[in-house]
Amino acid sequence: MHENLRRLTLIGALAVLAGWPAAAGDTSARQLIAQFAAEAGTQPSAARGKALFMGTHTGGKPETPSCTTCHTRNLKAAGQTRAGKAIEPMAPSVNPARYTDSAKVAKWFRRNCKSVLGRECTAAEKADILAWLSSL
Amino acid sequence: MNEKRAEAAPGRTRRAPRPVWDGFVRLFHWGLMVSIVVAAVTGFLLGPSFIPVHVVAASLAVALVLARIVWGFAGGGYARFAGFVVGPVRLMRYARDVLARREERHVGHNPLGGAMMLALMAAVLAAGLTGWAFLGAGAKLGPFAFVLAFAASPVLAELHEAVAFAILALVALHVAGVVFTSRREGENLVRAMVTGEKGVGPQDIVPPQREPRTGAALGVGLALALVLGAAIAAPVFLPVPGAPVAEIDPTVRAECTDCHMFYHPSLLPAGDWRRIMATLDDHYGEDASLDADTAAEITAWLTAHAAESADTRASKVFRLDPAGGVTRITETPFWKARHAGIGDAAFRSAEVGSRANCAACHADAESGWFNPFFAEIEG
Repeated sequence: MHENLRRLTLIGALAVLAGWPAAAGDTSARQLIAQFAAEAGTQPSAARGKALFMGTHTGGKPETPSCTTCHTRNLKAAGQTRAGKAIEPMAPSVNPARYTDSAKVAKWFRRNCKSVLGRECTAAEKADILAWLSSL
Repeated sequence: MNEKRAEAAPGRTRRAPRPVWDGFVRLFHWGLMVSIVVAAVTGFLLGPSFIPVHVVAASLAVALVLARIVWGFAGGGYARFAGFVVGPVRLMRYARDVLARREERHVGHNPLGGAMMLALMAAVLAAGLTGWAFLGAGAKLGPFAFVLAFAASPVLAELHEAVAFAILALVALHVAGVVFTSRREGENLVRAMVTGEKGVGPQDIVPPQREPRTGAALGVGLALALVLGAAIAAPVFLPVPGAPVAEIDPTVRAECTDCHMFYHPSLLPAGDWRRIMATLDDHYGEDASLDADTAAEITAWLTAHAAESADTRASKVFRLDPAGGVTRITETPFWKARHAGIGDAAFRSAEVGSRANCAACHADAESGWFNPFFAEIEG
């Protein structure tokens, strides 16, 4: 086992033990990646995350074949929902509030993976996507 | 007017030009004409987006008529009702004299002209009354919002339209009367209403001269304006029966505005909300699922404040019918009729984004009111 992964596993386990408070600002991208990676037992990969996020998929709802349908390919700029509402930028470098609320992250992974892929994302996929998005 | 015509006209002698129509009477006359024309064009010919222009122009007409009524009691001799309003017996006698071509010449309003003026003013007041009653019932605007239910609005719309047609008929009669009298008396009455001057001959009937009581008129006019202004503004400050719920549950607002604007619960009946909340995993092509507790809490609040709890137009016109292919508010007949003139490009523009974004043009959309005064259509 890699040293890195062991450390992540430890952090993830500690986080789980501490319980997940539902309040906003209760977590960070690092913690979340660690938790998902620990759950999956895999090493998070930003490259895999990017491919998943930018790719076009079938199996989900026809209106939303890709994450970029709404988020666009420029994640430092705002996206737009199909109903016309702005989506705050995904990149933490321009939107520091991203990935600091565990309930929000859980809610949007659940909804958007189902919309785009037709199923929930695996813990490994969540770790990959977050590894990439949090680097932006 | 040429000399010949003046000779042939009743009065028969040379007339000296005298000030007859004072500044306010002329302002009233032409102001009323312009406001009636604007109200007629916006009311009869143009679509719902011109309702605000119609209401402002028509209300200006009513205000002018009310001011003229005050001036009818306080103005100088030619402006006072006492100088030209006659009873039916004298009116009929004058009409018979006109038919027999033996009528006396009145420098001010002749009895028929005065009756026409009263009829027109009464019709404008009736139009204002039925118009504001319609706005009160239908849009919960103005003083009638407190006493009239939405159910009364179709009848009031019919009534308002009938009165408006009566105004058109009276205007046509008025113009015909002016043309007739101008020719008969050899004096351009339209020009007289501009310059204020009319020729006065020795045989002509002149009302008793009265000193205008301008101060009193202004005082009464101001008091009237304050009372009517307060009555019109009252629904802004006082609770109106049937108003859409104003206090929005924070959980509902937060969860329902992640992807779209806040759709007020009064836009749809409780049954539609229940169906929408039961199918959140496929919410208009997207997964909008919520945990069961949150979904139940939101459903309870939406159904408690659904269309059945309000008396606004927006609460009466939208009903979904999935079996009939109506799954969205934008697919309802009312919505389609109201937005028929707006092109696809406008809805897809960057500022709007989609038909679902009511708030892009209806500034008060999230309150559930959809006041016509807050709708802004560009281009």
